[in-house]
Amino acid sequence: MTELKLHFKKAGLYTSIQDSGRPGVQHMGIPIGGAMDMEAMQDANELVGNPKYSPVIEITLQGPEIQIEGEGQIAFAGAYFKGEINGRSLPFYQTINVKNGDKINISGAIYGSRSYLAARGLMEEKEWLGSSSAVSHYLEPYGLESHFADGRIVSFNSDLPVAKRKKVRSKHPIHSECAILRTVTGPEFGQFPIEFIQTFYDTVFTVSGDCNRMGYRLNEKVQDYSNIKEMTSSGIIPGTIQISNDGSPIVLMRDAQTTGGYPRIANVISEDIDLLAQMRQGHELKFMLIGL
Amino acid sequence: MLVQFNDGIDESTNREVIALYQYLQASDLFEYLIPAYNSLTIGLDKEKLSRKEAQAQIEAFDFNSLQSAIKPKNYLIPVCYEDAHALDIKEVESLTGLSRDKIIELHSQKTYHVYMLGFLAGFAYMGQLPGNLQVPRKDKPRLSVPKGAVGLAGAQTGIYPCEAPGGWQIIGATPLELFDPTVLEPNLLNPGDRVRFRSITVDEFKLIEIKIATGIYELEYFDD
Repeated sequence: MTELKLHFKKAGLYTSIQDSGRPGVQHMGIPIGGAMDMEAMQDANELVGNPKYSPVIEITLQGPEIQIEGEGQIAFAGAYFKGEINGRSLPFYQTINVKNGDKINISGAIYGSRSYLAARGLMEEKEWLGSSSAVSHYLEPYGLESHFADGRIVSFNSDLPVAKRKKVRSKHPIHSECAILRTVTGPEFGQFPIEFIQTFYDTVFTVSGDCNRMGYRLNEKVQDYSNIKEMTSSGIIPGTIQISNDGSPIVLMRDAQTTGGYPRIANVISEDIDLLAQMRQGHELKFMLIGL
Repeated sequence: MLVQFNDGIDESTNREVIALYQYLQASDLFEYLIPAYNSLTIGLDKEKLSRKEAQAQIEAFDFNSLQSAIKPKNYLIPVCYEDAHALDIKEVESLTGLSRDKIIELHSQKTYHVYMLGFLAGFAYMGQLPGNLQVPRKDKPRLSVPKGAVGLAGAQTGIYPCEAPGGWQIIGATPLELFDPTVLEPNLLNPGDRVRFRSITVDEFKLIEIKIATGIYELEYFDD
């Protein structure tokens, strides 16, 4: 049995533990949560031989500074960050053997927004309602952790190491600055005038600065819009696209609240939520309508 | 998947939502379920049930079968309506034209139904308020509403489970903990439960706070 401790000397912009989240407690008003880019989380786990939904560490835009205690294996998958390990360039999408005293320094994201750090073995973290995922930022008042503070330590226990694995460059996802996201119709789709729907699917939207684990606000108004029918609050899920009162869309992400009162025009399909999770302020996107 | 019931907000529709929710929850075939005022959002687990199968299961549900099986809890919640906690009482007095005593009497004599949870974890939407106690939300939401604050918004009343921004008109506060993340069922109130409010003094508020902190407080219930 070997133990590996990751000391987050500097936490980075928004670093948190994530797994596949906590489905099944939404009736309690608790968000599903989980890794913003689920595929990248699974990639990271595979590279160290873990079950694919094991908890990993999600890093966002500006990475942490990590010191290694003990020894073990780690891997990064998802967005490319500028980073160093003991002064040498930090590799992505491959198993890295680490030992006592190693220093990892991650600065800004080059492509994409979020990367996942997996370490071989069992993460020693308590679960809450069936998941180790950090909670949505708005649950902080209950004393639950939403993201790391400087000095956070995460420990892993593992038995035998795995043979080093590597995902070849041609198989890495491409994190582009523009994307087309597939959607299915939302519950209030039919309540919008047809011109509104056409404009919605014709418009190239840009991601606003207000984009985080709870949701992505988009800059452009679809068109002037007055919500004639006052809506009664109803369930919302990751991927739901709401039209706010000024006519601009909000795409809800993993940490969104469970109910909302804006009309739901469409839903981004789950695979494409991963794509959106890697986009950031100023990036461009269009929606496309597909059948159920 | 979404099951939309009748439009609008009424207790009998919401009881149907809750009945269907409890029935589907017990089957353990769904990824998640979000009951709301008049709708049920359903997360399908395609490995367990296809869309068609789910639809068939919902259509086969007999709404009369479970209604009687639901055992709601009847919570009696202590609320202090005195100045220290009734931040918007003056505004509510002028909006309704009612005296403070009348507002307290109206608010605490009715039995409310818990429609849904949302907005904040632990926040229960309750209704309906008597017609003459219905007031609009504040024009400018407060940046910080204190934990335990009891508010009014339209036909609804609710309790802030933690300090948070919000636009409800605050007429009092409860010392009770509405959300406790350290237990398996963190919410005190759940859809379908019934709630009545009992007016308490500032001193009793403090006493209950101490009882809660020391673990000797016992929840109060009311009889049908």
